[in-house]
Amino acid sequence: MISTKNITFSYNKDQNFIMPDLFCQAGSTILVTGNSGKGKTTYLHILAGMLQPNSGEILIDNTNFTNLKGSKADKFRGKNIGVVFQKSHFIASLSVIENLEMASWLATGKKHTKRAKELLNKLDILEQAHKQPSQLSVGQQQRVSIARALMNEPKVLLADEPTSSLDDKNADNVIELLESLSKEYKAALIIVTHDSRIKAKFTNQITMV
Amino acid sequence: MIGKLAWKNIWFKPLNTILSILLLTASVAIITVLILVEKQFEEKYQSNLDGVDLVLGAQGSPLQLVLSSVYQVDDPTGNISYDSVKVWMQHPYVKKAIPLAYGDNYVGFKIVGTTPDYIEKYQAKIAEGKVFEHNFEVVVGADVAEKLNLKLGDTFKGTHGSAAEGEVHEHGEYSIVGIASKTGKVIDNLILSNIPTVWQMHHEEGHEEVAENPAHGEPGHMHDEEEHVHSAECDHNAHETDMTIDEPNMEITSVLIEFKNKMGVFMWPNIIAQNTKMQAALPTYQMNRLFDMFGVGLNALKYLAFGIMLISGISIFIALFNTLKERKAEFALLRVNGAKKHQLLLVVLLESILLCIVGYFFGTVLGRVGIVLLSKASESDFKLGFNPMEIIWEKEGLLFGLTLLVGLIAALIPAIKAYTINISKTLANA
Repeated sequence: MISTKNITFSYNKDQNFIMPDLFCQAGSTILVTGNSGKGKTTYLHILAGMLQPNSGEILIDNTNFTNLKGSKADKFRGKNIGVVFQKSHFIASLSVIENLEMASWLATGKKHTKRAKELLNKLDILEQAHKQPSQLSVGQQQRVSIARALMNEPKVLLADEPTSSLDDKNADNVIELLESLSKEYKAALIIVTHDSRIKAKFTNQITMV
Repeated sequence: MIGKLAWKNIWFKPLNTILSILLLTASVAIITVLILVEKQFEEKYQSNLDGVDLVLGAQGSPLQLVLSSVYQVDDPTGNISYDSVKVWMQHPYVKKAIPLAYGDNYVGFKIVGTTPDYIEKYQAKIAEGKVFEHNFEVVVGADVAEKLNLKLGDTFKGTHGSAAEGEVHEHGEYSIVGIASKTGKVIDNLILSNIPTVWQMHHEEGHEEVAENPAHGEPGHMHDEEEHVHSAECDHNAHETDMTIDEPNMEITSVLIEFKNKMGVFMWPNIIAQNTKMQAALPTYQMNRLFDMFGVGLNALKYLAFGIMLISGISIFIALFNTLKERKAEFALLRVNGAKKHQLLLVVLLESILLCIVGYFFGTVLGRVGIVLLSKASESDFKLGFNPMEIIWEKEGLLFGLTLLVGLIAALIPAIKAYTINISKTLANA
């Protein structure tokens, strides 16, 4: 469960973002849409704790995330928030499964190899487990990103334009996976997108203006 | 996991890594060789100098006299009259005077006529048998016995001069009565007899039939090699019995002097030069002079090695700095996954330090391989071996510290950049 209240943010004095409040239950999905430059990605970064808002609060399962600072915030983020980015980033020197283990180790101190394999299996990429991420196709890479985001069974799953670089078939696939897995892992799913292919599928939408 | 990540990152760009490691290995190897050789060299030279304040010998190069008499590496400067040097050996300043007479070798190992004091000076014990007493009895050094597989009671014939290829003395066999313990000093490579043995060997040189017909005499046989010791005028009557140390008009090669009164060190060189045909050389002074000459070369090598180390530091810095640009998104991602700032700092520092540890490891190993090769060459040329297994903790530890420091400094700026990375900006623009 995640909810926000009165969040404002500014990169400089001239530009002030007022972020719409949102509330998302575990297992349900909210779509944040809007045109470019309206602060969609900024909002997502604030929700992920990568940016500090000027004011307002973010509650994740009754913890005020905005109050956490420094390494406490890092730890909380690692444990409770999974992020899928528009472009998949990996640690290039580690294999697919090691990338997942690293995500788990950073947040919890344990590798959870078994869970990593389960996730890869569910996402149908178990055969790729020992390959370098760069050897995978874009669609496969995006699935590994999803697996990594779910490694620590987060309370909140954030996805930033997860489909923009994918073709129709892969985009459908990814959205379906995100939705079904967030339900299965009881995570609140927030998708930031301007992709009209997705908009049609969700009723719960917030548009940034 | 952080260590594993750092290790994997290093080998993700193997060419960069190998370059940095090669440079580190080269510099560490050179410095290791220098450290070991310098220490063992000085130690060997110093230990051989113990108990020798001054060397008396024939005129010529004082360095040559010291090298030949103390270290047995160079040819002697010539011979001196035993009668005249005896006066100085009995001088009240003198605590101990050890005469040395050269003449022969046995398969390249010098046979030196001397007194049992010589064995004592090197703190060698008689491991087996006894000290030489009679003529043609010899004590062999530990290395000689080991390399030639000599045992007590063995006999052998000497070869004239210092080269193994010289002319063999057909008469007079040496017999081994003692084997000295190992000392790590020059004595290990020597065969020792008393002085009359050397005299008698060369005195009889001209009288091949002596053994069968001792009464028969012939004029003294002349040798052209100057280290050869023999009397100018042979005392033919002595043939019937062994020669003794009291034989008149005989020559020896040099005398090692230890003073009771250290004033001798300052006074003797002048007195000897003015009053005799001999010279008095101060081994410490001569060796310091030699080291000074060496020192220039050693220092140049040292600077070269540190220069290479500096370059390897720069190479690590450039490699880290370049990959950091590509890896910015990786670092941001690690932060999103819950990595703390200092963990990123640690990854970068570890990468550099791991490189340095690997480079250091290969460097010390390579350096020791170098010493084994060097030791083989110097062993055959100078009978001076180096021990590659010795670890000089203090200096090598310092070198290790220095290597790590180079790695640390090289990684500092990239590590701080990783530490202060702006996650949001990096991932938004990536």
